[in-house]
Order: sequence, then structure tokens, then C-alpha cells
Amino acid sequence: MAIDQVHDLQQVYRNMLDCMARPGTITSLEQKTGLFEDQLSYNEAIFLCALTVLDAEVTFYIIADTDKGDKLAELISSYTMARVTSIEKADFIIVLQGDIKEEINKALSICKMGDLINPQQSATWIVETAALSNNGGVTIHGPGIKESKQLQTGLWNEFWQTRNSKVKEYPLGIDLIFVDALNQISCVPRTTSVKLTEVG
Amino acid sequence: MQTKPHFAFFDEGSKKEIRRATLKAVAIPGYQVPFASREMPIARGWGTGGLQLTLSLIGKKDVLKVIDQGADESVNAVSIKKLVQYTTGVALTDHTAEANIIQSRHRIPEHPLREDQILVLQVPNPEPLRKVDAREYMTKRMHAEDDYSGAWLILFEQIMKYGKMTTGAAHPVYVNGRYVMAPSPIPRFDNPKMYYSDALILLGAGREKKIYAVPPYTNVESLAFEDYPFSKESFKGKQCKLCGAEEVFLDEIINQETGDRTYQCNDTSYCMERLNSAQEKEVESSYA
Ligand SMILES: [Zn+2]
Repeated sequence: MAIDQVHDLQQVYRNMLDCMARPGTITSLEQKTGLFEDQLSYNEAIFLCALTVLDAEVTFYIIADTDKGDKLAELISSYTMARVTSIEKADFIIVLQGDIKEEINKALSICKMGDLINPQQSATWIVETAALSNNGGVTIHGPGIKESKQLQTGLWNEFWQTRNSKVKEYPLGIDLIFVDALNQISCVPRTTSVKLTEVG
Repeated sequence: MQTKPHFAFFDEGSKKEIRRATLKAVAIPGYQVPFASREMPIARGWGTGGLQLTLSLIGKKDVLKVIDQGADESVNAVSIKKLVQYTTGVALTDHTAEANIIQSRHRIPEHPLREDQILVLQVPNPEPLRKVDAREYMTKRMHAEDDYSGAWLILFEQIMKYGKMTTGAAHPVYVNGRYVMAPSPIPRFDNPKMYYSDALILLGAGREKKIYAVPPYTNVESLAFEDYPFSKESFKGKQCKLCGAEEVFLDEIINQETGDRTYQCNDTSYCMERLNSAQEKEVESSYA
């Protein structure tokens, strides 16, 4: 694998930080290998983000509808030493594309959201989407956003509704990192107010 | 046998931990995220928190500026720059506009910061409620319960005693309407620069093991009372004797013999840039 653990991951981190500080901003990660798409059928960006923030100190859980979730879990564990755990305990929840609406909605409601003393002890989600864009989708505003922005993730309304109820009691909540097939990433932290766009 | 030093001093595991804490800090503006502060080859209290942030951020293409109380050439700033450059080989600059990472102690540069820049502030005392209660678990609980009556009381007592707020540096701010935060020992003059900043601001306290952040375009309000509004240090009617700048943070210089007071930009690189561009203009006009 042609990933430089020092310099490539430093750049991935800066992208993640920039996106977390500026919700809805979409940045591109440099393509590191063309292999993943064919071999493992998930976005390389998922793996790059996982390599950047996971290690033996943290746990994760993968939501997927096929055994590709298990394969990815094995790969991430072997590269980062991070351990797989339950949804309720996971520091990171990684979501692969698939027919998994139910499981995602359930995970959203039961995953860690921190407590008032330690709001940082909450789950960070890394979510695979088809294509991210700033055309259509949800309208967002809040810290890091100059006025307001549009963010298209292709996720269903109920996802956002459940997410919104998860961040109602700020500072409790979850932070979301979206990645797509073009190695683009974008973030929606708990401070972001998300409005569903009215459908026709 | 000699081992190659790590790029940016730290092993990748240490960077990961700082990076995770930083991402959380950005997601919860003004909240102090605990992290496992490392031993650094510079004395604690000399910017180890800021330095750890800088090392976790920096990459080969970055250009770094380090300032201490407005000066790029102070011993502290120079030793931080040396350590970072020795372990990364990055370019250094004095010019605020040329840097994309700016580590600073006690000041936010006069030159307005941009979206593509990150300001790292060194913090000796991150807890704005420490004077209210010495115990960490108590101040943590006050933050949790949104109980800032103690912070208000301290300001109120100052007004009763001195007729004004006497916070000087590190006047506390409300971030995103939720957390009261110590902006690090910047003068009140710099507090408004945090409001809706274009640049991301990261704050690191090495000794107290805390990282916190102010994302761009975030509401940052200095604590004040309706009848005692917040006010910056005023330099009205004064200007820098070197470059003539007004509306900047000035240092007062008193002549020991005559007792005369003169003023000078505290931000030395800003002052130099103004002097140089004035000189260039002069040269241009004499050739015209
Ligand atoms: Zn000057």
C-alpha cells in the first residue's frame, strides 16, 4: 500500500480539521491507491480517515450490509490496533453504503453522545456517501459557516431528523465526517444547525 | 546506533491523540478537551501546549511564524522555531501574511488573518474559573452546569473596587453562547479579533493538559455588564513613533532621563512591514 503514515496522514488530518472547522466545506484527499475501489468496494477516503484518527487507544464499530464490513474491520484493526466494540461504546462509527437504513437510525439513537462533564466522550461518525456536493440537500448554519451553506449527502430525511434530536442537548451530541467516491470529505459537527429542505 | 528523529518530533501515536482532541475541541467551541500532554525539550510554561499543537498540525509545505509578545526574535519564539524547523525542515517567516501556521504567545497579530491560516495560541492558565475554585472537578462541574455566576462575580467585584474591569490580559469570553473561555493572556485589544475570525484559532495548555478552539465565524463575546460595557485598551491620539501606525496595540516607552513617553507597535513585524513599504514608496517617488 502506497500510504505514507507520516506525511499522507498529516495531510488527511489537515483536511479533516479544515472541514470540521468549516462545516459543509468539501475538500479532496489525494488519491493514494486505485486498488481499494475494486478490491474492497468502499471509498479509499474511509480508510484514510480511519488511519488518521484510530489507534489502540480507541474503539470502533462498522455498519455495513455485507461481509465487506468485516473485511474493513479486520484491515483497520491490523493497521491501527483499534478494537471493534459495540455501537453503544464505540468512539468511532464507520458506515459503509448499503441497505442499512434501519441499523443506522438505531445506531444514531444509541451511540455515545458524551455527558455534561465530558461532552468529548461521544461517537464520531465516518459515513460513506455516493457523492458530496454543495447543490441542494440540507441547509446548514452555525459556527464555522459564514452565513449558510447547502450540503448534499444523499442521506434520507430521517437520518437528519434523528441526528438533529441527538444534538438537541448541546454540548452533548455527535460529530459527522462524510466521505465520497471521489475521495472528498465534509463534516457536520454537533454545533451545526441542519434544516431539511422542503420537498416540492 | 543513531535513530532518525521523528518528523515533527512526535511519534505518530502522540500526534493522533492530539489530533483527536483537536477535532473534538473544534466541534465543541470553547470547551477544554483534556489530552495527554507530552514532555517537551523546552521548559513547561514556555509554550509547550502551543508547540504540541503546532507539531501535530505541521506538514512539509507549511510556512511557520512564531511570535512572543509581538516579537518574532524573542528567545522563546526562536527556540520554538528552531525545534520545529530542526524536526520538519519547514520554511519560517516573520511576515504574518506569508505564514499558514502562526504560533503566538500574548498577541493576535495586527495583520488580519485569512481563512487558509491557523492561529495557535499558547496558554499558561486555560481555566477562566480557577479564581472561583481551585479544584478542577469543581470548575469542570460549573462549565457542565453552565454556572458562570462566579466569573461574573469576579468582574462585578473589580468594578465595585476600582470602578472598572481590571482584567488586563486574558479577559474571559463567551464562545458560541455556551462556554466561558480564557482567550490566553492576549490584551483586551485583541479579544474582538476572535469574533467571527476568518482563521481557525487553536489554544493549547501544556502544563494543564488542555486543548480548546474557536472555529472561524463563531460568536465570541467578552464578558461585560450593560452599564459597564467591555472596552479595549485605548491608544487614542497616540501613534507609533517608528511607523506612525494608529489603532494598533502600542507599547509605552518612558525615557528614564526626561520622563518623556513615546509609543511603538507591539507587533514588531507589522511595524517593520509598514516601514519597509513606506521606504519603497519613497524610493519609487524619487525615481519618478
Ligand atoms: Zn510601528
